[in-house]
Amino acid sequence: MTGPVFDVHDLSVYYGQFRAVRDVKLQIFGNEITAFIGPSGCGKTTVLRCFNRMNDLIESARIEGTVEYHGVDLYDRAINPVEVRRRIGMVFQKPNPFPKSIYDNVAFGPRIAGMKGDMDEIVERSLRRAALWDEVKDRLKSSATGLSGGQQQRLCIARALAVDPEVILMDEPCSALDPIATGRIEDLMQEIKAEYTIVIVTHNMQQAARVSDRCAFFTTEVNELSDTRTGMLVEFDRTETMFSNPADERTENYVTGRFG
Amino acid sequence: MTRQFHQELDDLRDDVIRLAGMVSESLAKGTAALLATDLDAAEALIAGDDEIDELALEIEEHCFRLLALQNPLASDLRHIIAAIRMASEIERSGDLVTNTMKAARRLYGTPLDPRLRGLIEKMSEHVHRLFRLAIDAYADRNEGLAAALDDMDDDVDDLHAEYIRTIFEVHEGGGIPLQISVQLALVGRYYERIGDHAVNIGERVRYMVTGWLPEHTGAARLAARRAMSQDAETEAPET
Repeated sequence: MTGPVFDVHDLSVYYGQFRAVRDVKLQIFGNEITAFIGPSGCGKTTVLRCFNRMNDLIESARIEGTVEYHGVDLYDRAINPVEVRRRIGMVFQKPNPFPKSIYDNVAFGPRIAGMKGDMDEIVERSLRRAALWDEVKDRLKSSATGLSGGQQQRLCIARALAVDPEVILMDEPCSALDPIATGRIEDLMQEIKAEYTIVIVTHNMQQAARVSDRCAFFTTEVNELSDTRTGMLVEFDRTETMFSNPADERTENYVTGRFG
Repeated sequence: MTRQFHQELDDLRDDVIRLAGMVSESLAKGTAALLATDLDAAEALIAGDDEIDELALEIEEHCFRLLALQNPLASDLRHIIAAIRMASEIERSGDLVTNTMKAARRLYGTPLDPRLRGLIEKMSEHVHRLFRLAIDAYADRNEGLAAALDDMDDDVDDLHAEYIRTIFEVHEGGGIPLQISVQLALVGRYYERIGDHAVNIGERVRYMVTGWLPEHTGAARLAARRAMSQDAETEAPET
């Protein structure tokens, strides 16, 4: 595939009058893991949510600039946000399985999307891709809420994969998990990136360094007049460069812990 | 935690400078001992090298500890990597001073030709200056100075070549026997090598400040050979 998966031009996001993020310009490339890092309130999650129009669900939110997905403006009036979210799946900070069986959690999306084919096969394939199959194959009808936190998160990834998306957005997917479960999710990300494009927001800089191919550093600037903070993109480069020899002093200060 | 880490980095930097100071001092004392055929001073310097080794090892262990425990990144990471490499360059320079002192023992009792004496003095001065400038570049994070060391080292190489020529002349004129000539040639080589280590320290300083890595000529030759054989393969007519 040629060209970037996402091409973001001068993106600003507003909540009412408040500008949460300004002038973001970056590209997300296929079959890569892109990490967003930065201090709290820097707008990294806000930008992530623009990629599958999750911000539409917040009434006062609006954007300026463009987010192109394979050259198509994601915010064009003709675009159906539900279709967008099928192609661009999301995994959240806290595992949020439905209070249903493991099987039904995974089958939920394909059923709603009206996907044809053998549902058992779709469920098995999704659970295998999420590296959960062996642990749950004998209890598919058990409640998903009985799984451990790490298993629940992998179930959520399986659920996201079940509808055959191209992109997986991950919003701090490991912040509620222990190091072992975190390691499994990170391994999983490496395994599935051959087939998917992954964008991950993480507070854990070492995680960004370990898993990502490219990394974007966001920070906040304070508007003295209104005493508000606006997020902005500082630097976007290959992860190796970002963590060994960043170009911008603000990135340097953040990754070396000299921030603020 | 972060503040403590950055304090440790400052301590590390101080240790590297202290190590270099010890070698710089023994280099100057070593030349004096050699020219004055002061064997007591030579012995003291040989014994003193153990302290240099000890501090170099401490620096290395400190670096490994910081790498393992602190996950250093960006300029902090480059500083630690540079410190590991520099500690070994400096420590090796100290060993070369020790070698010179052992040669001084072997040369004991042989009067030195005044021309050779003058050249040893000159080489020592140049190398000493180069070494101090390399450490200044490190202490001041001065990339320009670090990059200039390579050219400055050319003077040392020229002096070394002149020194070797002079050894031949003096030897052929019957001034010194072969055995002594070889010892003297080795002494010249030791000074010349310390100059090379100073240049290497400069390269590490450049890496620390900017992330620049030296292009090793061997690696460049290999890359060129590989590119050429690839071209030859693609151009080969199909049979």
